[in-house]
Amino acid sequence: MKTVIRNTTIADKLLFLTLITASVAGIFFSREAMPQGPDIVITVDGKPQYTLPRDKDRLVSIPGPFGDTVVEIKDGKVRVKEAHCPNRLCEKQGWISRGAIVCLPNHIVITVGGKAGDLPRGIDAVTG
Amino acid sequence: MKTCGGQAILLAVLLLFAVSCSKSPGIYRKTKPLMDTLVTITVVAGSDKEADAAIEKAFSVIERFGDKIDFFKETSELAAINRNAGVNPVKVSPETLGVIERAIYISGISDGAFDPTIGPEIKMWDFYKKIRPSDDAIRHNLSLVNYRNIIVNRDRSTVFLRKKGMLMDLGGIAKGYAADLALANLRQSGIGAGIVAAAGDIRAFGLKPDRTPWNVGIKNPRQKSDVDDLMATARLSNKAVSTSGDYERYFIEDGRRYHHILDPKTGYPAGQCRSVTVISDDGIFADGFTTAVFVLGPEKGMKLVRDSGVDAVIIDKDGVIHTTPGIKKMVTFEDGH
Amino acid sequence: MQLQDKYRIAVLSAYALSLHAFENLLPTPIPWLRLGLANIITLVALVLYGFRTAMTVTLIRVILGSIFMGTFLGPSFMLSFSGGVASTAAMGLAYLTFGNIFGPIGLSLIGAFFHNVAQLTLAYFLFIQRIEAVLFITPVIILIGTLTGVANGAVSGLLIKKILQKNGENIQNDKAD
Repeated sequence: MKTVIRNTTIADKLLFLTLITASVAGIFFSREAMPQGPDIVITVDGKPQYTLPRDKDRLVSIPGPFGDTVVEIKDGKVRVKEAHCPNRLCEKQGWISRGAIVCLPNHIVITVGGKAGDLPRGIDAVTG
Repeated sequence: MKTCGGQAILLAVLLLFAVSCSKSPGIYRKTKPLMDTLVTITVVAGSDKEADAAIEKAFSVIERFGDKIDFFKETSELAAINRNAGVNPVKVSPETLGVIERAIYISGISDGAFDPTIGPEIKMWDFYKKIRPSDDAIRHNLSLVNYRNIIVNRDRSTVFLRKKGMLMDLGGIAKGYAADLALANLRQSGIGAGIVAAAGDIRAFGLKPDRTPWNVGIKNPRQKSDVDDLMATARLSNKAVSTSGDYERYFIEDGRRYHHILDPKTGYPAGQCRSVTVISDDGIFADGFTTAVFVLGPEKGMKLVRDSGVDAVIIDKDGVIHTTPGIKKMVTFEDGH
Repeated sequence: MQLQDKYRIAVLSAYALSLHAFENLLPTPIPWLRLGLANIITLVALVLYGFRTAMTVTLIRVILGSIFMGTFLGPSFMLSFSGGVASTAAMGLAYLTFGNIFGPIGLSLIGAFFHNVAQLTLAYFLFIQRIEAVLFITPVIILIGTLTGVANGAVSGLLIKKILQKNGENIQNDKAD
């Protein structure tokens, strides 16, 4: 052990620390920058509030101006299980496994697999 | 100390990225939930700041318009018109008057295949809970569906539904009009090129910074996988495009597909098409025509688009593609279509 | 090339191959995770016998190893080839230009880093072609590589010391060429 430490130069230590900090920072940064993994993102009032893995079943309750909105994740799909807004369009959309559910009265947007408005390569908009 | 060093390097790299991205003129894009869907506005602008200001202004135009014609919002002008059906004419704003006048126009030239007074029928269906109204109920409410009973008084800026119980639903046309309004606003802000996409109702103007038209993907009505499966790509400049399909809201019962595009003549889902894409000069006509053509079916629908001077791609119930001659120049189909 | 050199290369290659094979037998939590034990031999060869020997040993290890395992010219061979050559080249360059500024651990870290960068780049072009997936996994691989790199470097350092003590002046002279 002693020999090992004596054999280590300052440059070695610097290199080691740089690599460790850069890679650890890189891990956090890449998680931050790329939510297009298999995650479900729930945005409330324009701010992402929940980033949830879609492979874990769960219920999330989100308070809003019309009471709690219940979002259910099951079998890799997501739906609005319960909403109390006037039109309840979000509830009517049912289960989705891609794209987005928008609940305007409650200011909730749920997106699956990618940021809202993500587009295929070379395409500027999609109709249909 | 070392941690700071690592982060400083990372920060420097990020900054370099940001600087290289903000070269002018660039393409800027922003998405906002509006009108019960996601609206994405893309613009070509000299700076992030300029783009952001213009896009936010256009968003607020859509939001204000959306609030006026919201079917479900009690304070909307549309809700007031519906509440006063058979009672009183209702004074409305120029935008609401404009969209209703155009809705009546499209109803007229499509001989009622598009009809905004479909409200009493659509209200009875629930495509999520798979609720299908009884035949009697559908027949009973058909007497309330007739665009000729919308009385518009331009001088007084009023709208009146002649029969009590009538319900106007502008869902089949409002997003296209919202795209038109947003585009006019972007132009006022000095933006020369961009795309307004209110979900699938899209209006493109100008050219991209590389002087090419905008690429708009058209979804395959029968998606095979979880990823967006595009059937074709349209190259557009100063055009609007919309698509209506039987796959947006539907349920299947006894092997039959019940979807949200109802035939105003029967009250049942129109069965002759899978999807209709219309390319026109204005968003409102593209949006309105897709519904009309979908209900009319491929033969009569093709005649309507030709007579009206717009272009269309119709996928009929058997999956056969029908197109107008003008489509060839603008649309490239993927292999296998 | 002297007979002694050939003998040395043969022995070093044999060590490298057996370590290479040994680590393939070890169960790892993630299938593509490797300890890079063979890099110990490359590093020892580089410091004691020079760059040419190190590269030769690496090439023999990669090529023979893949032939033994039946993956010659296959995708895993290409990855192992690119990683081995890149790491040996990088370590050699660092050793020749910077001399003793880097110790065995530093050199091992450089080797591990370039090994991973080369493999990730090749993997991107050949197999994955999804830049976000590669960017996502890169820091994780670099981190693991740094940790195993330190361990390998420490072992290499001890080995080098041992061999130097045992063989005394002989080797020091050889290093001059």
